[in-house]
Amino acid sequence: MTKKYLRMTLNERMQHINLAVNFTLLVITGFALSYSTAFWVSPITDAPLGMTLRGFLHRLCGVATVFLGGYHILYCIFTERGRGIAKDMIPGLKDAKDLWETLKNNLFINRPAKLLKMPRFNFREKLEYLGLIWGTIVMTVTGFILWFKTEWLQFFPMWTWDVARAIHFYEAVLATLTIIVWHFYSVIFNPDTYPMSWAWITGNLTEHEMEEEHGLELEKIKAQSKGELKEFSEAVTAGGGRVYTIRRGKLEEEGEKGASIRRLYGIVRSFNETIKNWKGT
Amino acid sequence: MKWREDGSKAWSILWGVLPVFLILGLILGGMTGVAWSDNSLCLGCHQDESLKKQDARGKSIPLFVAEAGFKNSVHGKLSCSDCHTRIKDDKHAEGGKAVDKKVNCATCHEEAEKEYLQGLHSKMIMKGIERAANCYDCHGKHNILPSKNPKSMTHVSNIEKTCDRCHSDVGFVKQHGLGEALPKDEFKKSVHGKTGEVTCTNCHGSHSQRSLIDPKSTIFRSNIPQTCGVCHPDITKQFVGSVHGVLAARGRADSPTCTTCHGFHGIKAKVDPDSPVNERRIALTTCPQCHAAERISKEYKITTTPVKSYYDSFHGLSYRGGDTLSAHCASCHGVHDILPSSDPKSMIHKDNLQKTCGTCHPGASENFAKGKMHAVVSITGEEFGEKAVGWVRVIYIILIVAVIGGLTFFNFTDWLRKTIDRRH
Repeated sequence: MTKKYLRMTLNERMQHINLAVNFTLLVITGFALSYSTAFWVSPITDAPLGMTLRGFLHRLCGVATVFLGGYHILYCIFTERGRGIAKDMIPGLKDAKDLWETLKNNLFINRPAKLLKMPRFNFREKLEYLGLIWGTIVMTVTGFILWFKTEWLQFFPMWTWDVARAIHFYEAVLATLTIIVWHFYSVIFNPDTYPMSWAWITGNLTEHEMEEEHGLELEKIKAQSKGELKEFSEAVTAGGGRVYTIRRGKLEEEGEKGASIRRLYGIVRSFNETIKNWKGT
Repeated sequence: MKWREDGSKAWSILWGVLPVFLILGLILGGMTGVAWSDNSLCLGCHQDESLKKQDARGKSIPLFVAEAGFKNSVHGKLSCSDCHTRIKDDKHAEGGKAVDKKVNCATCHEEAEKEYLQGLHSKMIMKGIERAANCYDCHGKHNILPSKNPKSMTHVSNIEKTCDRCHSDVGFVKQHGLGEALPKDEFKKSVHGKTGEVTCTNCHGSHSQRSLIDPKSTIFRSNIPQTCGVCHPDITKQFVGSVHGVLAARGRADSPTCTTCHGFHGIKAKVDPDSPVNERRIALTTCPQCHAAERISKEYKITTTPVKSYYDSFHGLSYRGGDTLSAHCASCHGVHDILPSSDPKSMIHKDNLQKTCGTCHPGASENFAKGKMHAVVSITGEEFGEKAVGWVRVIYIILIVAVIGGLTFFNFTDWLRKTIDRRH
């Protein structure tokens, strides 16, 4: 059995699937409006009330994505693993160097190719993650402007709405193309991962994948386990197994009387626990 | 309306003068010594179904007269000779004179004859067109029934059939250059045809029906609103005051009248998806047939941009996708009462715009009414909003090309290297 390295916990996979479904639906229902006479829109336009339901579904998915974003922020604040992710996502000079060296490798400027050891999140992933955050913010703001037109126009002139509409459309084009070109290359068309990286379903990366994409992280994990390599089970995180540690006892003491942000944390945590302990049906 | 007088007046005249002619007939009969008032003499021969004669061209003409049909007809009490005043023929030599006088309905039906003489059918006859309708073509010959009789050829339920004998005959329509159109097919399916109360003559007139190019015709372009207004007076009143109605009344051939949007023989109810004024069609074909036509827009100093910009707007995109709740042309501009935005009564006048938007957007603020409605996105636009959106577009297109191009390039090199590495 090949060694497995946990990449995404079940919670994170749920977030990923949630985002994937919502994103796809948003793309379909959104471009169905912009290209309402295109052939692929006909299932929507031919259905009774198709366009009305399309708009409803688009807003519904938009709201779901916003909630998912909110959940993700809480996850990144109130779980140790989340905080770890947030910390490891911060781009640095090394990422720029990695990108540059990768390009040089790719163009055979570096001969022989330089072996690059990349951290837990390499430049590809950081770029995409930060792009996703940026895109979500832009789409949320402009989307709500478009949705609450009457309220928006109480305070702002019409042209701002038109600008919001243009941004919403072009940002959607940019986001969709980025997912297709960048994300799908990383997880599908990349010859190292083709036909698909299974991390989004199994949650694990193989050692080979770790070597290729996250050499530095692999070294770190190996160092941490002090030579005694064990099978990484799902519940054990790359950070050493302590996933939810913050002031657990204290929170339980305070109970419902605690500050609302704590209570929120409790909800997030218990949700995490539930997912963590979920062993399938 | 003068042309709306139908035959009813003529009939009353007939009843007035009928006794006079009866008496006259009796006197004439007495003078010639033959009992002309009694039709038995004529019917004695003409009841023979095989009785025929050949006309000058050698065409065989049946001379049979069905007694029952004649007796039951509105003229049943008249004598043959009341209408057939002179018959030049060897066999009728006794009563015949040198002039072959055809049956002249005008002897009694003066008013109808007067109207008929102004109509297109009589003009066509004068031009020598054989199949142009004579009195008997529509009314019948010996078996004429009053038009109130449901069996009459001119009863409201039969008029269509009567007209269709020629006007839905493919050969006839082709031969006379009536444009291949068979009104029968269209009219049957139309909302008017389905009522059974409206028929050809309601719009075309009866005796005085005129050509499309005759300015006195009920179906002449500028008269159409009045013709339709006989039954739809409120709509005509609205329309004649509208920008379209005013121009149409002045004879602008490009300005729409009722038929431009509604069609003519095949007018359908608004809810019918085949209707050209169905709400699914208004912004796709009905208004754009002119407002997206370069020819018309150039001539009238209007532009085709409203249609284009509408199609690019949220309303237009959603509408084209089949959204029935999305605004189309008529939602904001009105229907029959469309007025230019400069008119204070117009729905799109700047003082009314907020209210117009508010129909669908309750609580619409005055910002709804500000700025250009049919804006065209362009960095060289007239208005700030147009320019702003234009710049957003330019920046985003550059951004998209740069980012996606860069990512694609990077991935391509990555794929290339990995593929080449694998070769070994």
